[in-house]
Amino acid sequence: MNTAMDDGRQESPGEQTLSFRPVGDEDLTEVQGDDAFDAFGTKKARKKPAASPEPSAPGEREAAAASTGPPAPEEPAEAVTADDDVPEEAGDPVERPSLFVKPASLGGPGPRKAPPVPPSDGEPFFAAFATEDSSDEEPEPSSPDGPPSLDEQPQDDVATEDDEPQDAEPGDGQPQDAEPGEERPHGAESASGQARDVESASGRPQGAQTGDEESQAEPTLDEPSPADESSQADETSQADGADGDEPEAERQPRDGDELRDREEPRDGAEPQEDQAAPQESQEPARSEKPGGGAATGEKAGRGEALPAEAAKALTAALGTLRESVADLRFGLDLPGADEARQTQAELLAQLEGYVLPRVRTSAAPALIVVAGSTGAGKSTLVNTLAEKNVSRTGVRRPTTGTPVLVCHPEDRKWFAEGELLASLQRLDKPAPEAGARSMVVVATEKLPQGVALLDTPDIDSVVEEHHEVAHRMLDAADLWIFVTTAARYADAPAWNLLKLAKERGARLAIVLSRVQPRSAEVVLKHFVRMLTEYGLGEIDRFVINEAKVTDGRLPDSEVTDLRLWLAELSVDEERRAQAVRETLNGVLNSFRTRVPALARHLEGQVAFRTELRSDVEAAFRGALGEVDKASKNGSLLHGEVLARWQEFAGSGDLVRSLQVRKRGRSDKHAPERVLAFKAAIRAGLEAVIVAAANRATEEVVARWRHRSELGATLGEGLDRPSDNLVRHAGRAIASWQEHLSELVRTDGVAKRSVSKLVSFDPDSLSLIFTVAMFSGTNGEGVPHRLVNALLGAESLRGIGAKALSDLRARIGMLFDEESMRYVQALDTAGIPDESVATRLYQATYNLEVAR
Amino acid sequence: MTTMATRPGLAPRLSALTKVVEHGPGRLDKKLLTEANTLLTQAGDRLKLSSEHTVVALAGGTGSGKSSLFNAISGLELSPTGVRRPTTARTHACVWGLEGAGPLLDWLQIQWRHRFSRASALDKGDSQLHGLILLDLPDHDSIRALTDTEADRLIGLADLVVWVLDPQKYADASTHRRYVTELAGHDAVTVFALNQADRLTKEELAELVIDLNDLLRREGVEHPSVVPTSAVTGRGIESLRSVIATAVARRRAAIQKLEADLHRLEQRLSKAMPLGEALSAPSSVDEARRMGLTDALCDAVGVPAVGEAMENVYAERSSHWVGWPYPRWFSKFRSDPLRSLRLQDLGEEIRGITTGSVSAQSAEVANAVQALADGLSGGMHPVWRTGVHQAARSRSSQLPQALTEDLTEIAPQLDRVPGWWRALKVWQYVLVVAFVAGLAWLAAGLLMPGQLPPSLELLGDSATLPWVGLMMASVLGLGALSGIASRNFVELGASRERERLEREMRRRVAAVSTTMVVEPVERELTRHHAFYTALRDLSP
Repeated sequence: MNTAMDDGRQESPGEQTLSFRPVGDEDLTEVQGDDAFDAFGTKKARKKPAASPEPSAPGEREAAAASTGPPAPEEPAEAVTADDDVPEEAGDPVERPSLFVKPASLGGPGPRKAPPVPPSDGEPFFAAFATEDSSDEEPEPSSPDGPPSLDEQPQDDVATEDDEPQDAEPGDGQPQDAEPGEERPHGAESASGQARDVESASGRPQGAQTGDEESQAEPTLDEPSPADESSQADETSQADGADGDEPEAERQPRDGDELRDREEPRDGAEPQEDQAAPQESQEPARSEKPGGGAATGEKAGRGEALPAEAAKALTAALGTLRESVADLRFGLDLPGADEARQTQAELLAQLEGYVLPRVRTSAAPALIVVAGSTGAGKSTLVNTLAEKNVSRTGVRRPTTGTPVLVCHPEDRKWFAEGELLASLQRLDKPAPEAGARSMVVVATEKLPQGVALLDTPDIDSVVEEHHEVAHRMLDAADLWIFVTTAARYADAPAWNLLKLAKERGARLAIVLSRVQPRSAEVVLKHFVRMLTEYGLGEIDRFVINEAKVTDGRLPDSEVTDLRLWLAELSVDEERRAQAVRETLNGVLNSFRTRVPALARHLEGQVAFRTELRSDVEAAFRGALGEVDKASKNGSLLHGEVLARWQEFAGSGDLVRSLQVRKRGRSDKHAPERVLAFKAAIRAGLEAVIVAAANRATEEVVARWRHRSELGATLGEGLDRPSDNLVRHAGRAIASWQEHLSELVRTDGVAKRSVSKLVSFDPDSLSLIFTVAMFSGTNGEGVPHRLVNALLGAESLRGIGAKALSDLRARIGMLFDEESMRYVQALDTAGIPDESVATRLYQATYNLEVAR
Repeated sequence: MTTMATRPGLAPRLSALTKVVEHGPGRLDKKLLTEANTLLTQAGDRLKLSSEHTVVALAGGTGSGKSSLFNAISGLELSPTGVRRPTTARTHACVWGLEGAGPLLDWLQIQWRHRFSRASALDKGDSQLHGLILLDLPDHDSIRALTDTEADRLIGLADLVVWVLDPQKYADASTHRRYVTELAGHDAVTVFALNQADRLTKEELAELVIDLNDLLRREGVEHPSVVPTSAVTGRGIESLRSVIATAVARRRAAIQKLEADLHRLEQRLSKAMPLGEALSAPSSVDEARRMGLTDALCDAVGVPAVGEAMENVYAERSSHWVGWPYPRWFSKFRSDPLRSLRLQDLGEEIRGITTGSVSAQSAEVANAVQALADGLSGGMHPVWRTGVHQAARSRSSQLPQALTEDLTEIAPQLDRVPGWWRALKVWQYVLVVAFVAGLAWLAAGLLMPGQLPPSLELLGDSATLPWVGLMMASVLGLGALSGIASRNFVELGASRERERLEREMRRRVAAVSTTMVVEPVERELTRHHAFYTALRDLSP
């Protein structure tokens, strides 16, 4: 799979091309022209980005060969168009990108030659030779990076040469190739045209435009191609199907052998049909590659190529994700909650301001965000590229507070009205009070169409708001240009940003500015080494020397490379689209970790809240248990209760409460001492309840504090039972006592044998009953025996059980009331909803499915 | 090496800090406590070391030109400069005037190979810098610095810090957020060198200096001293040197630095533990509160109830002894409910209940202690409140037991029988006998006149009979009267005993509560008071 995917990428021109910026260690000071070449080489080099700076000699050669391969075919074109100008260098690079698409490059020559020279075999050979020659001719220009990847291709070519006939076969390949072939010519023409234009930097844009137009044709080419190519029309019928599948699929096969194949097919477009059988035979072989490629192809394609259902499904999935993310509430200020909220805000902003618009309108111009440290020269760079003072520059740090977007007038509408970064208010020109929540949109023809530059606030100044805005901009970027300086390239914030880019898989280019020419070599070498150690060695790099800034701009010569790079992007629609797609994919991939991270935090909050609640429950359960224990082990019968009981018994009231039955003597006024005894029991129970509640509340707060800082904050003011507790407890117990008397009076109908002889005072009896209940001794002791004799064991047990459970219930209610205060404190802090986390996971999963 | 003459003020403040540290554990945030400790150690160390030397550190971001400035000031290429970032990874030191500097450099942990002395090479014309130890720190903002705290450490130790800024980096968050905003109050020992001034035009430089000044003021540096310098052209180096020379000559930087550190720490301490009304919190348990506690504990033991019970039970029981027997006998004829329930033996047991045992109810004891702690710690910081509660409760698990044991010793014996009860009983039975005898005499005199023995014959006369009757009636009356009277005596005695008992119980309860509750609480209150006093003394 991996290799397959690699292949796919190789073919897709965008990625690596970009990554291979000329700034190799050795190349630093080299001529721009070289860079251009490198760009070439790099594009092909695709495969092995990590290319060591010193490719083996052969490697270089091959690389050169590979890179030149395309050029060779072109030569004719150039010749035709008459473009001998020096600028061609510039022009070529620009075009090459398009050439790079191997099909295209091969096809280019193919179509032209094909008609005149039917024998395809000869051609390929020729081409191969030519490339080799060319490599010899231009060994130096090739970028060091390029070679490695190239190695494979050339080799493959050689190896497959013999097979060519077979290879040629794939009908699929042919048609597809054919299309690229068509492009090829266009490309060539445009290239030549550009070459002229390019001569002067100012000319550039136009060249780019022309390139654009042609490149625009590309997408449509697939279908129109058949029509266009009369010669290939036959094939196209078959080809169409294949094309429809996916352009990428074709490219992948190219990796090595395919390269070959395509060339041939093109050359002998007609032959294909003849070889239909062979094609089929090969198909299985191919099928493997396409299979691998298909995966990547699909992925890449989703952004653009599969508009209807896929995009719709993706949009729907993203919409759901957006809603789920928007619904999140992190009420508890747990450690990490701020980060989670920030991540949430970022995700939302990114979904709304970038991903959704990008998925809906994938053909939109690419947004290139220029980010970096304060004072790195972002605004100066943007001004220089725009050839217009669009963004304020100066010595004050931080300089830029309001993002400035520069684009071609044709693209202005999209950026001024589009959904991209829709949350930012659009301004036509900088306003002093604009702040970071708005964005200035400026159009200039000096920028090529299809790419827009966004100058952002810094990432590391004292104004922290800027960091956030800059990150938001980066979240919406299709490509990142990271600007740092010779003085800053080791700064921690800069590397944090690079780390982020790496994590997100964002397409990245690095500009090292303010380089003193005399120290350039050392600095660059060091920087490149750091980058390489960091795994970013193959990223496009540009060096800008420290130069006199006039009127907020650098000398134009300093940014030629960048300009070229932009022009390439502008011209090569496909490459741009690829870059856009990759970044989008990177962002979508990042959702795999970022969204679940949010969900995890939410779950953490839910768990934390559950823990806090369980703390409350445990504490009050403990309190209830304490009361229970006290009511059973006799510890209630201490202090005043004990004294009163002794008094009650010793003063004869106990015996007096029993009366031998006589008429008219049943209802006796309760004596003072009985009331005192009752009050003592009430006070005793109350004390037990209050003590238990005190302990429970303290325990809750202590547990909460122990759990976290937040727990301590939440528990503030809750370390004592509510003021009402004593009152409520008193009331609850009084009514329980009433209830008990009632029970004794009604349920406790005395044994018939007893009731004939003795009447009793229910109030006193209920007190005796209480003492019996609380004394804890089982069935022994005075109160037990007395009550037992009076009411019978049966009803003693019955009433006892009822009374106890009633007491428990009442105290339980009291404690519930108390614990509600904590629950309320938790609730007011925010109720994380468990189901939201599940929805998040679901949404993430759905998104993966939709992709 | 002379000991630094501390300005009056620093020493008492440091000793106040010592007290804060002493009383802080468990009450003060651990981090703050560590910082206070560190500062204390640092101050102690620094004050012990050479006061003749002033440690000046060049700090700043990578690439701002610290090493260049270092070399420019020292006039030698001592610290390597370069274009690679970061350049300096180890601190370099240059000393003007070596004697006494060694221990200081050791304390700063400067490696030997990075120590340089200007004593020999530069004594010419550099006398005003004599006593300067100039440090070239590594940067604090590069990716290297993420794993290296050397710059951090030395910025904290140096007497005077020169922040080397440059036009590119002067507004970096890494410098300002992490250090400058922390420096409020350090104006006197902080200098900002705006290096690389040569990269700017005159106007730009002026604008930038203004901007930097504004920025610093916004961050709390009241009087920023900003010196534009250029290590390349040498511009401004002299003014920087003179700024440093002034500080070195005054020999005050170390003290000022410590004072500023102390000030900052004090701010943070008082933010964490606001002084507020803390000092007006009680530092001991006053009489009213002790009384309150004793009352509550007495209730928990049931002292009043015990007294009442004693009174009532005595009254009830005494009637068996001192009451007039006839009504008692008469009441026995009333049917006994216990007997009718066949629970006669229960009567004994009921009497057995009233043994007069005393015990404390632990829940009420806990509540009493809690109430005391609540009342004392009302306005305190939560941490101290918890402390007071813990102190109050420190022995509360033994408290009910102790109370019970202590009071049981003096608990009234409700079932005891005083001797005079027995005497009275005898007396009443004597009366009963007299009455019966009289009755018999009377009966004999009436029924068998003349048959009485001669000794009784005296009054054989029927005329005397009424007198006999009268006598018997008065015996009855005497018995009833003495019954009532002695009952009153019992009650009177009981109530007097109750008073005595309650007084004694209160006394014992108070004694127990003092040792088991009040004393630990007072210790905590004293600590609280001492802590806040120290905190107050910490501020100048």
